Amino acid sequence: MRAYAAFCNKEFMESVRTYKLFIMGAVFLLLGMMSPLLARFTPAILEAVAGEMPEMVIIIPEPSAYDSWLQFFSNIGQMGLLALVIVFSGLTAGEIGKGTVINMLTKGLSRGTVIFSKLSAAAAIWTVCYLLSILAAFAYTAYFWGAHETHHVFLSFFSMWLYGILLIAFVIFGGILTASIYGSMLLTGGVVVVMMLINILPGARPYNPITLSGENALLLTAQRTVSDFAPALIVCAALILLLTAGSVAVFNKKQL
Amino acid sequence: MDILRVENVSKSFGGNKVIDGLSFAVPENSVFGFLGQNGAGKTTTMKMALGLLKPDGGEMYICGEQVSCGQTNTNRHIGYLPDVPEFYPYMRPKEYLRLCGEITGLSNDIIKSRGAELLALVGLEGVNKKIGGFSRGMKQRLGIAQALLNEPKLLICDEPTSALDPIGRKEILDILQQVKGKTTVVFSTHILSDVERICDRIAVISKGRLVLSGTIQELKARHRADGLTVEFASPGDLDRFMGDPHVAPYTEGAAQNGLGVTLHVNDMAAAQTAVIETLAQGRILPLKLEVMEPTIESLFLEVTK
Repeated sequence: MRAYAAFCNKEFMESVRTYKLFIMGAVFLLLGMMSPLLARFTPAILEAVAGEMPEMVIIIPEPSAYDSWLQFFSNIGQMGLLALVIVFSGLTAGEIGKGTVINMLTKGLSRGTVIFSKLSAAAAIWTVCYLLSILAAFAYTAYFWGAHETHHVFLSFFSMWLYGILLIAFVIFGGILTASIYGSMLLTGGVVVVMMLINILPGARPYNPITLSGENALLLTAQRTVSDFAPALIVCAALILLLTAGSVAVFNKKQL
Repeated sequence: MDILRVENVSKSFGGNKVIDGLSFAVPENSVFGFLGQNGAGKTTTMKMALGLLKPDGGEMYICGEQVSCGQTNTNRHIGYLPDVPEFYPYMRPKEYLRLCGEITGLSNDIIKSRGAELLALVGLEGVNKKIGGFSRGMKQRLGIAQALLNEPKLLICDEPTSALDPIGRKEILDILQQVKGKTTVVFSTHILSDVERICDRIAVISKGRLVLSGTIQELKARHRADGLTVEFASPGDLDRFMGDPHVAPYTEGAAQNGLGVTLHVNDMAAAQTAVIETLAQGRILPLKLEVMEPTIESLFLEVTK
């Protein structure tokens, strides 16, 4: 337990001193602020453009709080998660590749503890940055549109969070498997592409974890129900457990 | 008791057999020199003892406990200094030692006091810059400090001096000499003068096999002197000496080197008598007459041929 705490502590120190925490914080704060602003001002921008070309007629409905959240989930689900994967791509790959973890292992740190503390620390950083972006988006959305109706608030945000954890679990697994940053990113990117392809099959859709990052805004506006999200949530959670157990098993067998 | 016991261990990488039926033991409180050419399998053997690599066959025991790859139970007895130690560059030396101590399960007080003690031992007290700005020698010294933090019964150093300048090398050897007696040291190298300075036992491996092992005195005694070198003042003296029938039984296979000649003999006493008589009778005055002591270098060259 003490070793776990010590190694988590080291992970936090690393993310502060190598500026990972600040980069993540800045990216997510920006995405959180940008989404309501974009939703609010896109019609005005388009109008200004259209004004120069009188022959073009653009009909845009009045933006709403819903557009703001649509923007938010699309930005976090794409740019945000991309930043997440890039920032954490060296989480396990870097340590194995450079050999810094060897010293720790020869001190008696168990390999499982390495995986668990890395997962916890990355999850904590992702949680904090994600909350930051939610708060910023909430503040701006409330400012522009006032009180607005929302449904399944917790589940909408939680789904994206869990999907983020899944990506972290893939990054860790890829790093353990290939001991290279590129390998880790390639595996994670490859899996996302595969999930996108699976999404073409209508039958597989409800079970596909990628739903958790794509249809959150629909859940927030009650166009989806909890039962639409439940299978994907279960698959996602099961994958996280499986990947973490797999990472420990592969790492235990790994020759360093 | 044997601190480290290696029993019939083999290891291949791909189709390449790196370690082939290696067995040896390191007794307690010795400084054990582990010698071999580059690529002989020294690092591989050490990594197997640390559970970082899995042997294909055979067993290893640390303090009587079997090493199993991937598990780190036996590592609590060991301090390890890798050939090129890699640290977290954003940490300061004290922070790194605290992390190591916490992982090993030392109490905070002990981490603090022993950390300070060790940093003083390796000459890094008062150094508070981040490890990223350390020179190679400084990293090597911090490596020794972290390896000794948990007062290991066995200190494994993988070529601790190979990459250092002469001053850095001397400092590392001095530190190892200081811990001698408190902990058993296994130290791999191909710098033979380092071995003669601090080791009391050696094992030489070549192509993954043990080719020589024992205490340095034993080995030197076993490979008793067989060379007698005579150096002359002029080529004429050398020719007269070599042409003398008295020394003819010994000149076969003799190695000439400038004005000197080294005779290889079986019976040193008889050969010495014959040479001295020849020199006296011929009134040849040599510059030097020397019985060649076997050096670690000559042993090493002989067994790794």
